[in-house]
Amino acid sequence: MSTTATSSFDAIVVGAGHNGLVAAAYLARAGVRVLVLERRERVGGIADTVEIAPNVRAPAVAHTVGRLRASVARELGLRAHGLSLVAPDVRVFAPQPDGREITLWADPATTAEGLRAWSGHDAERYVGFDGLVRSIGRFLAELNAATPPDVKSPGVGDALAALRLGRRFRGLGKRDSHAVLRVLPMAIADFVAESFETDALQGVLATRGIQNTAMGPWSAGTTNVFLADSAGNDGGAAGQTVYARGGPGALAAALAAAVTAKGGQIRTEAEVVEIRTVDGRVVGVTLASGEEIGSSIVVAGADPKRVLTTLIDPVVVGPGMCWRATNIRTPGTVAKVNLALSGLPRFPAAGDGADHEARLRGRIVVAPGIDYVERAFDAAKYGRSSELPYLEATIPSLVDPSLVAGAPDGTQVMSIHLQYAPYALREGSWDGRGGELGDLALKTLEQYAPGIGSLVTARQVLTPLDLERDYGLTGGHPYHAEPSLDSFFLWRPLFGHARYRLPVDGLYLAGSGAHPGGGITGQPGQNAAREILADRKRWRR
Amino acid sequence: MAQSYDAVIIGGGHNGLVSAAYLARAGLKTLVLEKRDLLGGAAVTEEIFPGFRFSVASYVVSLLRPEIIRELELPKHGLDILPLDGTFTPLEKDYLWRVNDHGRTIRELRRWSLSDAEAYEEYGQLMVEMARFIKPILSIVPPDLTGLDPRQFTPLSGLLRAFQKLPEKQQAVFVQLMTMSATGFLRQWFETDPLIATMSASGIIGTYQGVQSPGTAYVLLHHYMGEIDGAFRAWGIPRGGTGGVSEAIGSSARALGAEIRLEAPVARIIVKHGRAVGVALESGEEIQARAVLSSVDSRLTYLGLIESGTLDPEFEEEVGRFKFRGSSGKVNMAVDRLPDFTCLPGEGEHLRGAISFSAGVDDMERAYDDAKYGRWSRRPYIDMIIPTLVDPSMAPPGKHVISCFVQYAPYKLDPSLGTWDDNREAFGDAVIDRIAEVAPNIRDIILHRQVLTPLDIERRFGLTEGNIFQGELSLEQLFFNRPVPGYARFKTPIRDLWLCGSATHPGGGLMGANGRIAAMEVLRAFGRKAA
Repeated sequence: MSTTATSSFDAIVVGAGHNGLVAAAYLARAGVRVLVLERRERVGGIADTVEIAPNVRAPAVAHTVGRLRASVARELGLRAHGLSLVAPDVRVFAPQPDGREITLWADPATTAEGLRAWSGHDAERYVGFDGLVRSIGRFLAELNAATPPDVKSPGVGDALAALRLGRRFRGLGKRDSHAVLRVLPMAIADFVAESFETDALQGVLATRGIQNTAMGPWSAGTTNVFLADSAGNDGGAAGQTVYARGGPGALAAALAAAVTAKGGQIRTEAEVVEIRTVDGRVVGVTLASGEEIGSSIVVAGADPKRVLTTLIDPVVVGPGMCWRATNIRTPGTVAKVNLALSGLPRFPAAGDGADHEARLRGRIVVAPGIDYVERAFDAAKYGRSSELPYLEATIPSLVDPSLVAGAPDGTQVMSIHLQYAPYALREGSWDGRGGELGDLALKTLEQYAPGIGSLVTARQVLTPLDLERDYGLTGGHPYHAEPSLDSFFLWRPLFGHARYRLPVDGLYLAGSGAHPGGGITGQPGQNAAREILADRKRWRR
Repeated sequence: MAQSYDAVIIGGGHNGLVSAAYLARAGLKTLVLEKRDLLGGAAVTEEIFPGFRFSVASYVVSLLRPEIIRELELPKHGLDILPLDGTFTPLEKDYLWRVNDHGRTIRELRRWSLSDAEAYEEYGQLMVEMARFIKPILSIVPPDLTGLDPRQFTPLSGLLRAFQKLPEKQQAVFVQLMTMSATGFLRQWFETDPLIATMSASGIIGTYQGVQSPGTAYVLLHHYMGEIDGAFRAWGIPRGGTGGVSEAIGSSARALGAEIRLEAPVARIIVKHGRAVGVALESGEEIQARAVLSSVDSRLTYLGLIESGTLDPEFEEEVGRFKFRGSSGKVNMAVDRLPDFTCLPGEGEHLRGAISFSAGVDDMERAYDDAKYGRWSRRPYIDMIIPTLVDPSMAPPGKHVISCFVQYAPYKLDPSLGTWDDNREAFGDAVIDRIAEVAPNIRDIILHRQVLTPLDIERRFGLTEGNIFQGELSLEQLFFNRPVPGYARFKTPIRDLWLCGSATHPGGGLMGANGRIAAMEVLRAFGRKAA
């Protein structure tokens, strides 16, 4: 133990993103003296709410929270800590360039009814497809909640876990179990084409296979991303659309309350610059201020590339592991645009009156067709942003007016996820170029909601570079590491280190870089805490 | 009375012939039925233009399993592989030239990047380890993970134990090979653009994928298996063209007692009470058999040769899902002089190996972008071989033949382009244009030119959608999913009907493994019956 430590804890969590907070809350709940250190002045990481204009609050980065595991919310008592969720009937509204629309509702039968206008065939297949997605999603949820087995020295627990999983797998039935083995590595474009013929429908469904990735709908393994998005939640084929009242920051606040209620401590504006080790064991951290805090357990909520290549002495990590960590792929492709609007934009494809508003409560997805999305992706391959990007916009103030309480009457807030804006530009950098992306988002939306530009009263843009600088996401990648097949389950983030233990004694990974990956799920945090507690029990014996 | 055999094999391609040879060797009365008037399927040599002989489709060999060469005594039957040395990547003003001489290659790479030269050694060793580890997979019958018979997992558990013995870094690299893109994988070691592009080209051969598409690193490995661990440790061309391989296997099969009939197209497989009992030829002739092996692809077998209504519709739907999507074409040329490359003029050793038109990753990727949207690549990737430099017998004295494997040529063209019959010559011109960028004399030396589009490959060789591997080597179509989940063990839903072609594990290429394992499985089934 370092003699210069000013104070000491059982465990230190680096980063107060949602997974860091989940891990901390579970540890605190088990009686571990835990300290969470956050570089920014606020907790939550990308699950945060920001004021973009006086009395106009927007989701900072992520805008829905429906992937949060039910067990996390329940076990940590998040409702009691103030979390309140809203799920509109509409999941997705996808306007098309020709003025038509595809709307995915919470109820698959309603969606199928609407699809009849496009294709009787697709309408017939939709409910079955939804069922398949849910069936595989349930299996994946089980996989996601499990710690990947130890391949080096499998123990009794690993054998039992494998058996349990095997039973689950058989439980899928012959057809769905064959489907799991076949479809996970598929391109999402192929997967949706097996069920549907309408390009517009294929396009909107495919977006969940490529969201937050540097892959296009024709890339292998995007079906896995799609199905993972529906694992452990009520998403089904349409995907979840669930808002936290008060914005995603309310989730972070509830998680923080769950930590402190059990005696955990949280310090913001406390940037960890080094994870200190002695004889290859973690002994604590050093803050940017020079302050040293001792602890024999350090839990990283930050991304694994950052942790292994910048926070620890490379000699301790070793050259082989350094090489591998450097090669963790973090190709960010996402930009965020938030708008304050003086009124509700009008999407002619959404119809009129109450119907219009009802459709706009979900995710508004601009992805009219597979080729559209693939072409958007093509640009990223050559280090340019898409000329016609894929957008996912929400107007959370429609379901949660508290976000604009105090603002002039009629004010709405719009949150736009824009893809692809590659972090690595072929020419120049994103420095000072956020405006281009804001313009691009508006120009794209203008086609579907004419006049939206004139409603904008304030605008905030986060480029991938901002995501890296402001939120500490290496490469601006919201998922900490690309969710491709080479970074999955047993080999996320690195083969041999998928069990939340990084290759330095006492160092754990609890963030999105760990299994089962990114998204506001809390699952990596929950799994990591379980492993840490198991190790502590083992040491005590 | 109809003739009767123990085993009838549909298709006299290399896999059908390998199966026949092994079955005959075990004493079965075996008959091979080939549609065309020559043996070999896609591994054939034909005199397309008077005096000029071509390996029309498949044009190099390295994957052919050494145990097949040994067990079927192929050298005794005339197989003679002539090594091809190196890969030459011509650029506008420079070139990248790798040869089998390690020292020379390292010196060449140093000219481009010191760190690449250093990494090349480490990378090469690693790939040898990987090929050594994965080799047993080539002779495994894939398990059905949803099946209950524990015996089928035995070979897999052996593999698992071997995996556990690998150092962690190699385990990680193996996983990457199974999942990453070719360029993503290679970039971990290399930075030189033409080097990455040229090496990654092996990852897209026969696929409808780009070098940056996840899953292409596997195809890279698929091509390394022969290169490193095969009998010849390099790519080579058979004397007399690729048909030489088929002739040797055919000769071996005949010597072992198999009968081979040419110009005997099969019209259907006769199924009685859920069992295959023989085949009917297009001539109307019927032939009885205790087992029928089909070396043609799964779609042709299940949906073309079996009367509809015989198979479960759900199974037929699964068969229909198997993706072919041929993406390659072939341009064969007869020339009266050698091409002259601006970056390295004159005749020389650089023309004796593979000449790879892969100047950079962007070039390769753009070629794929065209294909994605239903166009043939305007600036295609080309793998050129000049066989006459190692085997002058293929052309009249002083003349040469040139073989160009071209990607991408998607089977399904955008309707606005018309059909492949409308595009054949324009596609051929694009290939010549691409070559002329770095070897301008190409236009002056061509005597004859044959352009094979995926449609031509389908028509001529019976390969569905012109896919040279009888089905894409994409991740979801490998191992226990190839060609139908639950039916990857060479068996079919119809008793006594077996698949033995490239549509089965371990996939395509002039490898023969499929035919050999299938024959072993048939023999096992026969043995069990006899016992």
